[in-house]
Amino acid sequence: MDSEDDMHDANDIESLDDDFYSGETEDAPMDYYSDYDDDPDDYFDDADDSDRVESRRPEQNFTVLMEPDIRQRQEDDITRVSTVLSISQVAASILLRNYNWSVSKVHDAWFADEDQVRRTVGLLEKPVYENPNARELTCGICFEAYPPSRIQTASCGHPYCFSCWGGYIGTSINDGPGCLMLRCPDPSCDAAVDQDMINLLASDEDREKYDRYLLRSYIEDNKKTKWCPAPGCEYAVNFDAGSGNYDVSCLCSYSFCWNCTEEAHRPVDCGTVSKWILKNSAESENMNWILANSKPCPKCKRPIEKNQGCMHMTCTPPCKFEFCWLCLGTWSDHGERTGGFYACNRYEAAKQEGVYDETEKRREMAKNSLERYTHYYERWASNQSSRQKALADLHQMQTVHIEKLSDTQCQPESQLKFITEAWLQIVECRRVLKWTYAYGYYLPEHEHAKKQFFEYLQGEAESGLERLHQCAEKELQLFLNGDSPSREFNDFRTKLAGLTSVTRNYFENLVRALENGLCDVDSNGAASSKATLSKNAAGSSKGRGGRGKGAIRASISSRMADDNHWSCEQCTYANVRSATACQMCNQQRR
Amino acid sequence: MQASRARLFKEYKEVQREKTADPDIQLVCDDSNIFKWTALIKGPSETPYEGGVFQLAFSVPEQYPLQPPQVRFLTKIFHPNVHFKTGEICLDILKNAWSPAWTLQSVCRAIIALMAHPEPDSPLNCDSGNLLRSGDVRGYQSMARMYTRLAAMPKKG
Ligand SMILES: [Zn+2]
Ligand SMILES: [Zn+2]
Ligand SMILES: [Zn+2]
Ligand SMILES: [Zn+2]
Ligand SMILES: [Zn+2]
Ligand SMILES: [Zn+2]
Ligand SMILES: [Zn+2]
Repeated sequence: MDSEDDMHDANDIESLDDDFYSGETEDAPMDYYSDYDDDPDDYFDDADDSDRVESRRPEQNFTVLMEPDIRQRQEDDITRVSTVLSISQVAASILLRNYNWSVSKVHDAWFADEDQVRRTVGLLEKPVYENPNARELTCGICFEAYPPSRIQTASCGHPYCFSCWGGYIGTSINDGPGCLMLRCPDPSCDAAVDQDMINLLASDEDREKYDRYLLRSYIEDNKKTKWCPAPGCEYAVNFDAGSGNYDVSCLCSYSFCWNCTEEAHRPVDCGTVSKWILKNSAESENMNWILANSKPCPKCKRPIEKNQGCMHMTCTPPCKFEFCWLCLGTWSDHGERTGGFYACNRYEAAKQEGVYDETEKRREMAKNSLERYTHYYERWASNQSSRQKALADLHQMQTVHIEKLSDTQCQPESQLKFITEAWLQIVECRRVLKWTYAYGYYLPEHEHAKKQFFEYLQGEAESGLERLHQCAEKELQLFLNGDSPSREFNDFRTKLAGLTSVTRNYFENLVRALENGLCDVDSNGAASSKATLSKNAAGSSKGRGGRGKGAIRASISSRMADDNHWSCEQCTYANVRSATACQMCNQQRR
Repeated sequence: MQASRARLFKEYKEVQREKTADPDIQLVCDDSNIFKWTALIKGPSETPYEGGVFQLAFSVPEQYPLQPPQVRFLTKIFHPNVHFKTGEICLDILKNAWSPAWTLQSVCRAIIALMAHPEPDSPLNCDSGNLLRSGDVRGYQSMARMYTRLAAMPKKG
């Protein structure tokens, strides 16, 4: 898509200077995630960090910094420069501020031309202004005469009284972060006003503000660090370029893209995301109705409110019609029981038949393009709100239900971990699925094969997720309501854990395929895959080994090799040997 | 308030003492208000403003000298960095580059320097800025000279 943008972004990241000291900085702060990896119980018991499902990825290329960590790093950098250059700490701090807190840049510049560096940052070696050796000195701001004890000077020697310094420094601090680069008041003088002078001359309140600016500068001017963009969050993230994966998750549970600071959007690239967000704000007035939380039942027309996360709706009695929130179609068409091809994710433009005149055609096209956008936007937005709901449910699970369930079912909490895992999976999958709709919207219409392959993978992933979400939401409810151990609980465990793993596989495939730019299609002849997939769309469960399928099976087979199980052709679930049909999707064993 | 008054009083005494120190600048404090000043400055030689006398109005804020004074031309002048109608001046030291070590006297000196060295890239007078930027120095000079003659020179006779 926006390949130029991407290139640009990538270069930005690559151009991060690799501090030659970074090796030492690395192990200084705590590595939260490796702690969690060692002790999985810790990980899940920590109720607030629900988003951290992502951090389980092995290549951890970021570190979350809390204020003490930031101060520590800042202090370490200052000390390092101060030691190597044999200058004071405050001088080192001024140097680092001028070179975006890059230790290596300071060193390079200093050893290349110390005099030049001193001149530009305002670190004078000796005064440029000789105070006449008098009993009284005249302040250069109020022009009053003072005894030398009531006069202060920066390294340059220009004399100002304490009260004028106080006013000068205070004005600058209240003007904003520019105070970090404050120079001598003399217009022809560049001498820096260092932190020692600030501490000596500024009011307590101003000193605190200055200190804040200094801390912020360490994060904001440093190319390797950013504040977490979540409202109210005070953590920062240090990012090490390399893996090409920009998703980071903060300890506050917010996941965001380090490159564009939007909410995490893997596997969709930053350019697509920013285009999509722009589009959404342009269309927001047209789309308000989509965010409404109720729709008329397609059968009895009574308004039905959506108060759960999964898209499977059941109308209130006596109607009890089961339908899909997104397309308002019968739920039984959605692949669960029929094993049919899940097609709710696909947008089909209305057939244009008959003769249109020009205006009519144009109106029809405009309507189509809005309809098309609406299709994708509604699915994007529904997955977003569904994810919010799932996050809340996950939290509720961790804080209330698990404990209760442990009592009623007489199961140790450690054996209920499969429930938390299911919810973590749902939250992450909703996020990925949401962004695949932005991806789908921008996937060129004419790339038929790619489009079909994509919709196939997306449809499989989505229908798996709907099954999982429904199971975690509705079937679990039965046990939450019960008050004694239930014999069905073990079956439920098997089913939920199975659905979790199946859904994870589907999404891993989807993510991998999108990150490869759907190139599997190109390499194997677009025409054939198109044919196979459209046949599948008709509902036949046979011959579903199209391109997509092959790729999926190949990538999963390794973990399914086990004599006591057979792997379902359709959903990949590992069924016990005795089962003749898949326990997940009812597909017959072949 | 007290600090700014004290400082302005110092400047006032300095002006009284050194009346003839800078023959190009004549600073006068308002009789009833020490926060209002006017200045008469001579157009620098070898510029289209040569021979003219330009009047400036100073309005000094209570936070002076931590905040800069407001200055504008009362005499009409054709100059890229001066608003033709209001006389407002675009000069960095009157904005973000202000330092409390500047005085009203040194501000006048900076304005004289600006008259001799216009900055066509931050124009308040677009016509004048455009003439200079398009390289039409003669066009700019003749316009500036005309307005100097019309507005900044005592009428003969
Ligand atoms: Zn003073
Ligand atoms: Zn100085
Ligand atoms: Zn955060
Ligand atoms: Zn991004
Ligand atoms: Zn109904
Ligand atoms: Zn549907
Ligand atoms: Zn199955």
